[in-house]
Amino acid sequence: MRIIIDEKPVEVEPGITILEAARQNDIDIPTLCYHEAFGGQGMCRMCMVEVKNGATSRLVASCTYPISEEIEVSTSTPAIARIRRNIIGLLYRRAPNSEFMQLLREQYKCPEVRLDVNQEENCILCRLCVKACEEMGSSAIAAVFRGTDKRIGTPYDDAATACIGCGACAQICPTGAIAMTESEDRRTIWNKDFALVRCQRCGQPVGTPEQLEYIASKSGLALEFGLCQECRRKQAAVKVSGYHR
Amino acid sequence: MQAANDLGSKLILVCCGTGCLANGSMEVYQSLKKQLTDSEVTVKTFTKPTGCNGWCEKGPLVKIMPDDITYCQVKASDVPAIVEKTIKNGELLDRLLYRDPQTKKRVKSHHQIDFYKKQHKLALRNIGEIDPASIDDYVARDGYKALAKALQEMTPTGVVEEILAAGLRGRGGGGFPTGIKWRAAAEQAARPKYVICNGDEGDPGAFMDRSIMEGDPHTVVEGMIICAYAIGATRGFIYVRDEYSLAVTNLGIAIDSARRHGYLGNNILGSQLCFDIEIVRGGGAFVCGEETALMASIEGNVGEPRDKYVFPTEKGLWGQPTIINNVETWANVPVIINNGAEQFAALGTAGSKGTKVFSLVGKVVNTGLVEVPMGTTLRDIIFTIGGGIPGGRSFKAVQTGGPSGGCIPESRLDLQVDFDSLLEAGSMMGSGGIIVMDDRTCMVEIARYYVNFLAGESCGKCTPCREGIKALLDTLTAICHGQGREEDLLYLEEISQTMQDASLCALGRTAANPVLSTLRYFKAEYLTHIRDHRCPAGICRELTEFEIDPAACTGCGLCTKNCPVDAISGEKKLAHIIDQNKCIRCGECINHCRFNAVLVR
Repeated sequence: MRIIIDEKPVEVEPGITILEAARQNDIDIPTLCYHEAFGGQGMCRMCMVEVKNGATSRLVASCTYPISEEIEVSTSTPAIARIRRNIIGLLYRRAPNSEFMQLLREQYKCPEVRLDVNQEENCILCRLCVKACEEMGSSAIAAVFRGTDKRIGTPYDDAATACIGCGACAQICPTGAIAMTESEDRRTIWNKDFALVRCQRCGQPVGTPEQLEYIASKSGLALEFGLCQECRRKQAAVKVSGYHR
Repeated sequence: MQAANDLGSKLILVCCGTGCLANGSMEVYQSLKKQLTDSEVTVKTFTKPTGCNGWCEKGPLVKIMPDDITYCQVKASDVPAIVEKTIKNGELLDRLLYRDPQTKKRVKSHHQIDFYKKQHKLALRNIGEIDPASIDDYVARDGYKALAKALQEMTPTGVVEEILAAGLRGRGGGGFPTGIKWRAAAEQAARPKYVICNGDEGDPGAFMDRSIMEGDPHTVVEGMIICAYAIGATRGFIYVRDEYSLAVTNLGIAIDSARRHGYLGNNILGSQLCFDIEIVRGGGAFVCGEETALMASIEGNVGEPRDKYVFPTEKGLWGQPTIINNVETWANVPVIINNGAEQFAALGTAGSKGTKVFSLVGKVVNTGLVEVPMGTTLRDIIFTIGGGIPGGRSFKAVQTGGPSGGCIPESRLDLQVDFDSLLEAGSMMGSGGIIVMDDRTCMVEIARYYVNFLAGESCGKCTPCREGIKALLDTLTAICHGQGREEDLLYLEEISQTMQDASLCALGRTAANPVLSTLRYFKAEYLTHIRDHRCPAGICRELTEFEIDPAACTGCGLCTKNCPVDAISGEKKLAHIIDQNKCIRCGECINHCRFNAVLVR
């Protein structure tokens, strides 16, 4: 079906979201809690757009709004710019320690925050970590409590039995809010201590035994745990080239 | 209602609503039952515990029929006199009758009292008149007659048309036309379909739905069955706030007896309709009153709302077509089917038909539960029915619509209350809470109080609501503590606007109402806090100093007696003085002074 985004007619599959339609057509809508792998969460509200349907017009979150009618979408109006600036301002106020938010605050020209805020905070509660953990099949972390106390944590903040120490949460986090520390032979994340397997050849960290076993059981492949990805590739190449005489 | 048919017998109704129970009405009921059995009473008597009569201020209430006597504030120790004098000899006990504050005369029946005269009971029609645990009592007052009429005389479409024609709008807060909702669900081909009753009433000071579920549970059950017939649903859920244990008990009894009588289960009343209801107890989150959060909670997930670009009527509980209505909405359904849409639509205003139940609390003489036609003015509700402001103080504002409602000032008291007029005034109907405030209320502190409530009760999922509330709360707290700046008011408005525009659910979109409405009507009070470092109501401690007006002080010493820190001194019958160094600004002196001699500097 045909809709209009920023005065440009575009052809879309009914049922996809406005955000997906916009990205397919190289129209940029900013997001913080969206990831192609997980779909829209409707949480950060950065992706608000204006939808006109006949005579009625309203502001919607483009990441959760499924297209079912021939609507007209505006992705940047003064009202939307104001919302985005305020959301960035509010999230900066929440996580002033995060370089990511400091940068965005400059870009969006948000005014000074004058009241006392927690200077140490980095997390903007986009929950991409929760989604990544869920997708990994672990669900070791979740958004806990409610209201202004909402935060990400493991059950009762204990070392979660479900956590395999894969670090997917830390990797996807846009603000570096999840602490993952590695020593010679240990990895610590979410109050849980793991042994750290290092590559036998180059010494790069490969993962935790729990993580490697989990991947092996999920994929059904007996992986060679002793090597990192790069060394494994090199070894495979050597093996293959061995056949060429 | 055996008694009514039994000539010469007496029916004694003891209010066992939550307020009366807390004041010992169960003891009154048991004592009455026992003494009427033990003593030689020639007349046949039936004693029943009922749901809330609404006049909680004067409870426990005991009504004696057919004599139409209403006794107020009855204690167990009054029971022997009631039995000996009134039941046996037909004598009135003057001291237990209501004393009209204007005429100073005793009034025999509650029907003659202003509190009840202006009320019109539809949703509350049975409450206080029946034993909620008795299906016979409900049936005797036309109970399940509407269901029989729907099943035997109307098509499912006919039922939807009737609700549409009645103009019934959802009583839970949104005010969405119920008939349009039902029609949308009826048109869906997907099966199964679900019917949900939203009984997660969580507004501070609100007890409308609680009283209905406790006092007349069958009306909710009957309304839901009628909807199941209209839209083709097979399963229903009543989601009740966990704290409402009596509501859970009485609904449970009602569902069981409805099953036994063939109103629930397979082939209801011999028709093709198969429908059953189960009770789900909420986990205690305010946000679960929001329908998508409520459904997530029934599904076993965390109670967080989702965007409603696809309505629950299409994809609701477990992704199936779902009708979710509030308790009071359900209570109106049998009335509409029984009496017809026309009669229902004759009541109310152009856009809002029928009646609305309000819980009237705060600084008002008659706190309680009232049901009035839509369009009744705030003045009538607060002053005629509510009896005005107690303690000789003056009216300052009325807060409607729960924590995300707004505060309406005296200049708008003649507002005819309905869904649209309240929105226009910057407040909302919400589920029907009315909190009256007197001149000892600081409007900045009130805004802070509600925002603080929402800070704990927002689900915390979306940025504008979670972070916006935090920003509002921090700013309001700073103003209350004397650290406000004038530009803070612009910041409050700016953040409020984004919360309204961008929040995920109605909680977030309305969470700024307490701030915006107080800024709209009481901006001067904010500015006094900021510019003059004064709290005119004498509530914000950092900004308050009390002093005694020597001309008005009679030296009665009441303030001295109530001061917790001995900061007030003075000779008897001479003007007293407050020692500012000792004073902790608690306000006990001003609250106790009968001569308006304590002033806020």
